[in-house]
Amino acid sequence: MDGNEGDAELLGRVAEGDREAFRELYDRHAPWLSLRLGRRCPDPGVVDEVVQDTFLAVWRGAARHRREGAVAAWIWGIGVRRLIDRLRRQPSRPRELSGAAGAGDVAPSAEEQVLLDVEHGDLGRALGRLSPELRAVVQACVLDGLTSREAGKLLALPTGTVKTRMLRARRRLREELA
Amino acid sequence: MTLWHIDPELLGRYARGDSGEAQAFSVEAHLQACARCRTALAPLADRERHELVWLEVVDALDAAQAGPFERWLARLGVPGHSARLLAATPSLRGSWLAAVAAALGFAVVAAQGSHAGLLVFLLLAPVLPVAGVAAAYGPGVDPTYEVGVAAPMTGWRLLLLRAVVVLAATTALAAGAAALLPGLGWEAIAWLLPSLGLTLATLALATVTSPLRAATLVALVWTGVAWAVWRLTHDGFALFGQVGQLASALLAVVAVVVLVARRDRFDQGEPL
Repeated sequence: MDGNEGDAELLGRVAEGDREAFRELYDRHAPWLSLRLGRRCPDPGVVDEVVQDTFLAVWRGAARHRREGAVAAWIWGIGVRRLIDRLRRQPSRPRELSGAAGAGDVAPSAEEQVLLDVEHGDLGRALGRLSPELRAVVQACVLDGLTSREAGKLLALPTGTVKTRMLRARRRLREELA
Repeated sequence: MTLWHIDPELLGRYARGDSGEAQAFSVEAHLQACARCRTALAPLADRERHELVWLEVVDALDAAQAGPFERWLARLGVPGHSARLLAATPSLRGSWLAAVAAALGFAVVAAQGSHAGLLVFLLLAPVLPVAGVAAAYGPGVDPTYEVGVAAPMTGWRLLLLRAVVVLAATTALAAGAAALLPGLGWEAIAWLLPSLGLTLATLALATVTSPLRAATLVALVWTGVAWAVWRLTHDGFALFGQVGQLASALLAVVAVVVLVARRDRFDQGEPL
């Protein structure tokens, strides 16, 4: 976590309106954000717009970010939600439109978060054995930190489907990692 | 937390989008927690796109931010472009409204002591919106005049829009001041009709000459009439009596007719 303290300090200066600090923060975080969003949206134009929106939100919201919590995770939270908003406004993926969306949101449970801390190699192997459909749902719900409803929007799936797939994936992973 | 780092070969494949789903998953989980690997990834991203997006971010930051007045108008449902044009009205700036408030304040203070002070207030209150309208639109006073001429909105609409808001703002200030007048008699509202008549007359005259000249003329005539009435009747307040109010209402009606008939004059560019 070597760079984390620097990030928090940078963000503090950004909150005071320091453009140079903002540029430094952008250089540190825009590249991975852009690549990571690019894996979830194939249109580079949309990705660039979302990165731009995200950093504008970072500039305006820097003062609201408390020092606890990693800056990278915070930026990702903003970025992925902007991407979902953007995709919702432009419904260019008409696949799997059938089925009503389930009601209610379920935030990723603490149990799901534990998956993130599983040692790298094991998790990779276990995930490798999941079907692509289940993996996409695990990625959205656990790695991206989205609610079932948000994940459904990102993947163009009904919320209920996201929930049942997540349930199945969790069971499968638990068996693999046991 | 971890001593493990992503090896450069995997990082390169991730950046190119060639890594498998599961590998990308663990790369991303690790990147979220590891500044060192994020730094290693940075040079692998598209440099040109990185700079272009930055320029867009800076552009957006430098773009004019909507002021509180503009945001308030937007909340009331005023469309964005109208709100921007209204917010740019010179006579709606804080300094202008402060000057109006100060003038009214002095008149109110003067009215506490004497009858003459009260008369000053009554003479002043109708002229203030006239001055506001004069400074609301036209070359020389309006920094957005050139923009306005080129805008897909008629000058007539813009002037009316601004005049209405200026009239409302100034009238509200005058009404507030009037409430502080001693005795609160009929004088407290006697200026309302003359105010409306004079403002509309200014707008009507603005179809012939520039708003600034129209306002100056109206203010001079108003002063002249007030002086004449005082000379004839030896009662300054006669101007605000029944005949005066009726004349004000008549003036307002005539001005509206002229204004509607000659509205095209606003869109013939340079006045006039």
